[in-house]
Amino acid sequence: MAQPESKIKVLLAQFPLETHSRGIITVAGMLKDAGMEVVLIGNELPERIIDTAIQEDVDVVGISTYCGGELALSSDLMHAAEAKGIKDNTAFLLGGIFPPKNIPRLKELGFSGTFLSATKEDIVACIQKAIAEKRR
Amino acid sequence: MNGQKTTKEILEEKLVPKERNPLYNPQALKKIEQEFERWKNTVVREQDRQNWSVTPHTILGSEIPRESLYTPLNNPDIDYAQDLGFSGEEPYTRGIHPNMYRGRTFTMRQLFGAGSPEECNQRMKTLLEHGATGTNWALDLATVQMFDSDEPEAKGQVATVGVPIDCVEDMEVICKDIPIDKVSASIVTHYPRNTAIVFPMYLVMAERRGVPWDKLAGSVQNDFIMESVVRSASEYIPPRDDFRIQCDNIEFLRKNVPQWNYVTLNGYNLREWGTSGITEMAVAVANGIEILKEMSRRGHDIDWVAERLAFFWAPANDFFEEVARIRAVRRLWYKIMKFRFEAQKPRSMWMRCHVQTSGVSLTREEPMNNVIRAAYHALAAVLGGAQSLHVDSYDEAYSIPSVEASLLSLRTQQIIEAETQVTQVVDPLGGSFYVEALTNDIEKRILDEVDEIERMGGIVEVVASGWLHHKVSRHIEREQRMIADGEIRIVGRNYYRAPDLKMPDIWVHEYDENIARQMRDKLASLRQRRDNEKASNCLNALKEACQRGDNVMDYTLECARADVTEGEMRRVFTEAFGSWKPPIFR
Repeated sequence: MAQPESKIKVLLAQFPLETHSRGIITVAGMLKDAGMEVVLIGNELPERIIDTAIQEDVDVVGISTYCGGELALSSDLMHAAEAKGIKDNTAFLLGGIFPPKNIPRLKELGFSGTFLSATKEDIVACIQKAIAEKRR
Repeated sequence: MNGQKTTKEILEEKLVPKERNPLYNPQALKKIEQEFERWKNTVVREQDRQNWSVTPHTILGSEIPRESLYTPLNNPDIDYAQDLGFSGEEPYTRGIHPNMYRGRTFTMRQLFGAGSPEECNQRMKTLLEHGATGTNWALDLATVQMFDSDEPEAKGQVATVGVPIDCVEDMEVICKDIPIDKVSASIVTHYPRNTAIVFPMYLVMAERRGVPWDKLAGSVQNDFIMESVVRSASEYIPPRDDFRIQCDNIEFLRKNVPQWNYVTLNGYNLREWGTSGITEMAVAVANGIEILKEMSRRGHDIDWVAERLAFFWAPANDFFEEVARIRAVRRLWYKIMKFRFEAQKPRSMWMRCHVQTSGVSLTREEPMNNVIRAAYHALAAVLGGAQSLHVDSYDEAYSIPSVEASLLSLRTQQIIEAETQVTQVVDPLGGSFYVEALTNDIEKRILDEVDEIERMGGIVEVVASGWLHHKVSRHIEREQRMIADGEIRIVGRNYYRAPDLKMPDIWVHEYDENIARQMRDKLASLRQRRDNEKASNCLNALKEACQRGDNVMDYTLECARADVTEGEMRRVFTEAFGSWKPPIFR
């Protein structure tokens, strides 16, 4: 808490075939409003999302998913994050439509926040808390 | 515009000189005006007078201000014969058929899909047994995005939100025992490329069953706005090439499958992504204009092309606006066809449309409220004179619909059709001071936006430049702020939200890895069985056709006959045209 707070940088992405992008554009707007820097890349394979997170040196990776398969794809994402050494110092969030019963498994995989519906305040608070924990 | 006139300029030129025959006599109007002023200044309360005009804020609304009361003064020079006329006659404001739903009720076309091709076939039969009069297929994401079930990108997505189709064999399973020469099929191939790849598989299936193509009825979507703007994907081709494929598909279908609706100009998904009801229609109309210009350039007769063109709209919460929008665009399209393209046949001037109730207007909170919302949306569509309807299910914010929820949607349509009696009278809201004023206003606004697009170089240009992507993106951000501020009220979510709100336990469709495995096995076996040399030759021929400028569907048809898969064809298109990145993504 001693050093001046730098601007939080967030990468927002979707898994390769996801067609719904209203959610991710909405969240991009919310986070920009909250003073964060947002990198919106659209659809990528999980491993490419992690590569971009490294290139862009982001604090947060946010995934938007509506069409299912979030467990299998998130598992690939987290494996890539671990293999490339950014899992411990990056906060991961996931939002969209998925079965609520998958939430415990998603948390186990490493997501700090999983959102089925949320306000800007919910998401911002989650990011701040997750970053504070990662930086500790 | 390179010296060319815009559609608006052409219409202004050709429509203005017409002599008008006003319905109201000037004396009566004068009297109404005097009485109106007296009433407004003495009877209406001060605060109501000050708030005489309010702008409704709704999800996806057009923000057209509304007065407190409408009178003949809102439309003083109305000319009945010119502005409204009779149903089934120009200007078609009141409907495209003289008897409308008395002659033929709206097609109840519930979207379905998900699960394996075998399950999809079963579900289709269930809906037909319960009285559905057409089928409407949702394709899974891999199929929509043109990937085979065994490509790495398809992981976790096979058969989740629709049915997977990789090859002709899947098409055969889906349509098994369905009388394809009697039941019309809406195959939701959103994109031009997707249409060019998947629709020939339907044709080859029919061919193998011995059903002639001229017996097939139905529609594909085939809208380049869907592929280049609305879609989010990891791979795009340049919009101009995509527009060409859209037109190639149209040309092929017109020549070879005469009863097929070759394009469904999709306002729906653009609006649901995030635009007003005005932009929704302006973009679809501008695309329609561009298609007809291109077909004309290719030497085709306008009437031959236009008779199978259809639209797809999204009615949302603002009830009268939704009724008026359908009426307005119907009149505008007539004017464009008659005066801009000089069509001769009545059918070419018809704005025929399929309507799906708005999904974005539904909430995750208290989902049963969505039954009510969707019923109002559906009623607006019917009062507006839509030809075909899908009612969204209450569990939309949770999952693709359960069997029970989709049956309830079908029941919603049947109740409107059989119990409410709204289908007995044609255009029942026609003549309402309010609805007619709104219809005029909306028609003008749509034409103004079409004009704006044409002045920027036309629909392909505003897509390629990113103008449309940014317009939507700004709309979404602004709308979100209005929901957060409570300016847009959503019952159960930000308005009268229950203090102890709990999300109900709703059935959610889950990913089934077994189907994905079956699909992968099927593909592996197909690739062993088929004549791979022939498949490869057909793919090479397709690539050359793309580069040469030949109609691509002649070549994707040969690919389908040779059991080439969807992903194999997609890759050829991308190799031939190169890739493009939409401007909102980095």
